[in-house]
Amino acid sequence: MDNGVASLVGLVRISKSYGGVRACREVDLTVRAGEVHALLGENGAGKSTLMRVLSGDLTDYTGTITVGDRPVRFHGPADAQRAGIAMIHQELDLVPGLSVAENIFLGREPRTRLRTLDRRAMLRETRTLLRRTGIDLDPRRQVGELRTGEQQLVSIAKALSLDAKVLIMDEPTSALSSAEVDRMFTVIAELRRAGAGIVYISHRMDEIGRIADRATVLRNGCVVAEFDARDMTADQAAEAMIGRPVRAMFTTHETADTGEQLLEVRDLVVPRSRPGRRDPAGISLTVRRGEIVGLAGLLGSGRTELLETLFGAGGRRRGSVIFKGRPVRPRGPRSAIRLGMVYMPEDRRISGLALDHSVLANTVLSVVDRIARLGVVSRRREAGAATRIVRDLSVKLASVRDPVSALSGGNQQKVVLGRMLLTEPDLLLLDEPTRGVDVGAKAEIYHLLGQAAQRGMGVLLASSELAELVGVCDRVIVLRGGRDVAELRTEQAGEADLLAASMGEVVPL
Amino acid sequence: MTTDFVAETRRASVRSMVFRFQSLFGLVAVFVAAIVFSPSRDGELLFLTSDNLFNVVRAVSEIGIIAVGMTFVILIGGIDLSVGAMLGLAAVGSAVLLVENDFGLVPAVLVVLAVGLGFGLLQGVASAVFGIQAFIVTLAGLQIARGLARIWSGGQGVAIAYGEGPGEAPIAFSLLGERTFNGLVPIPALIFVVVAVLAVLFLRGTAFSRHVYAIGGNEKAARLSGVPVTRVKIVVFGICGLLAALAGIIHAGQLNQGSPNDGLGYELDAIAAVVVGGTSLAGGRGSVVGTVAGALLLGVLNNILALNSVDTNVQLLIKGLVIVVAAGLQRLRPS
Ligand SMILES: Nc1ncnc2c1ncn2[C@@H]1O[C@H](COP(=O)(O)OP(=O)(O)OP(=O)(O)O)[C@@H](O)[C@H]1O
Ligand SMILES: [Mg+2]
Repeated sequence: MDNGVASLVGLVRISKSYGGVRACREVDLTVRAGEVHALLGENGAGKSTLMRVLSGDLTDYTGTITVGDRPVRFHGPADAQRAGIAMIHQELDLVPGLSVAENIFLGREPRTRLRTLDRRAMLRETRTLLRRTGIDLDPRRQVGELRTGEQQLVSIAKALSLDAKVLIMDEPTSALSSAEVDRMFTVIAELRRAGAGIVYISHRMDEIGRIADRATVLRNGCVVAEFDARDMTADQAAEAMIGRPVRAMFTTHETADTGEQLLEVRDLVVPRSRPGRRDPAGISLTVRRGEIVGLAGLLGSGRTELLETLFGAGGRRRGSVIFKGRPVRPRGPRSAIRLGMVYMPEDRRISGLALDHSVLANTVLSVVDRIARLGVVSRRREAGAATRIVRDLSVKLASVRDPVSALSGGNQQKVVLGRMLLTEPDLLLLDEPTRGVDVGAKAEIYHLLGQAAQRGMGVLLASSELAELVGVCDRVIVLRGGRDVAELRTEQAGEADLLAASMGEVVPL
Repeated sequence: MTTDFVAETRRASVRSMVFRFQSLFGLVAVFVAAIVFSPSRDGELLFLTSDNLFNVVRAVSEIGIIAVGMTFVILIGGIDLSVGAMLGLAAVGSAVLLVENDFGLVPAVLVVLAVGLGFGLLQGVASAVFGIQAFIVTLAGLQIARGLARIWSGGQGVAIAYGEGPGEAPIAFSLLGERTFNGLVPIPALIFVVVAVLAVLFLRGTAFSRHVYAIGGNEKAARLSGVPVTRVKIVVFGICGLLAALAGIIHAGQLNQGSPNDGLGYELDAIAAVVVGGTSLAGGRGSVVGTVAGALLLGVLNNILALNSVDTNVQLLIKGLVIVVAAGLQRLRPS
């Protein structure tokens, strides 16, 4: 009850183990009315676990949860919701086969007087909700067809519609660009004024500084630091998370202005393949060897579609793509990889990894037929290749035979990167390579990309995190509505310029 | 440093080995139970006579061969309901070609195997290229194969007589009903063992098998990693059809006839063997070793129930329970 502000909920000595892994150890935490409480920590620190306990999702914990100073025991998320606690999950829990509106009202659908589903009311209310939160989405679209960022918006809208007293947001913005984040922050500020308490988890340190009032840092399941977020520096927070001083986030690699032209895209157009997708409508760009080129843009600007199309995993296209001096048109991922391109999809759990297969199987997947002689794979060479790349990328693991699901998010991402690098590619196409990755692993991934560029590879990197684009890339190309609308050199331009260009404001070049 | 890593890898694989071969433990348990409950005659346990043991293997050889093919299909997250009908079609085909069309042994066998392979490949194309669900494709395939078997046989069983003359099959074909190695090992059991060993080696050591597992584990990720998903799927359905046809040939040779109703319901027995063997119906996890153990487990169970003259209806109940228990045990496996 410090500061005289009422605490909405409290966690007292909460511990939770998965088998032998102790994910949370005796954690104390309070959420007060009218505050945004940031929860920080490395991948695997136990943030999600702790919040899943609070939201009634995990029920086999020890310790006490109090709501308004009374101890409670939740037996499921429905109990917690009744007590006014709602959560946006990191791994989104939407039903892909249902529409946006159906997902938002799942389990509490409006009924007509005859007790049948009132579709009209559902659509109407969804539209109002989306308008209030500034989300530009058709409520009838199927959620499975949406991009990760759009799905995050749906989850946020759904959580907001629950009118919760305590709202837990577990990495709600990891695939959102700064314009969408700004809008979310306006809504969060409103909730805070209205007296709600918000727990906010994010690996984007700039967001914490902007939105949070207090911050709690977890390491290995224990609370290691608490800050007043308003006078906490990003370095302080990172150091508390990792337990030692952080290394420089961005290392400069030698910019290779002089490298030979690797990729040239001219007037790339993908005729509208699926409704609601904003497909490339005329994009031109170049990538040289040794260069890291960024792709900036809002949700729906066509970044993912551009990368998929180049990789042969998108729709039919018009326009020319010249790669290593030859016009190419890969028929699919397999032929693109043969040409020397590799692609990292934005959602590694859905399109990147077979999670319950071993690290070994996942890393060598793209090269098993190259490792094989007459179709027979030598186990020794296979394990050798996996072990080498895992060590090169310093992936933290006990054994390459462990399932990928046992790794933290950042290390899972490195496994995908390792699989790509094993093919000895010339061009890396990366879509949000550090989504949901903690600060330490982010710095390592940036470092690895710098090394790849130094070795003469070209990198085309789509990201919604402006700090990343400015810090890592040599040049950034801004997409809007499926077109390239600006190109900025990061030596001269900053985040503000990128944002302005993405939003459609005139940028002096 | 390297040796450290290797040792670590080895330790982990011991752990995973225990679970990989859990179906073998099930087999051992049922085997022990069979010994305990075995009736005896003249102080000898009937179950343990070599004659009886080889009979168990012979009895499961057709289902076992089919189940090996089914394992491949289930590993990629598919299912093949047409295998029982394919067995009937192949049995009829063998009988008709040998008896009515006077084909030699080798040409007849090759034609029937080609029919099975082709049929499987077509189902693979329908499922992988046109994106129709495997369940639907092979349900249709089941009907089509049964229909073809009826047409080919004229609707009735075709008996196989052996001899040199016209309308008679080469004597060699009747060997399928015989035993080798001093009349000890039934030929079908031998074929089953060879098929199983080849499949085990194939699934362990080839790039193709890595692709099979990857598709079952996460098809989208496999495709984006450059796995030729469509081609692998088609080939897998081809393998399954081929092995079902092989089982059909054996069936005709053992019974000296081919009937269009042969193999009725075998697809379910094969699926049961695969599942009891620890392969996940969701795909991406499982092994042929497990499937062989699963088939043998069900075979031993059948055998001991029959030796004790348990009522056939009760037999069904017990078999059902065993399948559920075996599937339930898999949930204990760490994920
Ligand atoms: N379902 C699970 N089964 C077993 N272990 C788990 C499970 N979920 C999480 N863990 C383990 O518990 C620990 C804490 O995981 P948690 O997901 O809470 O971390 P986090 O702080 O949310 O990380 P991230 O930033 O990557 O989201 C990790 O060691 C993780 O491997
Ligand atoms: Mg988490």
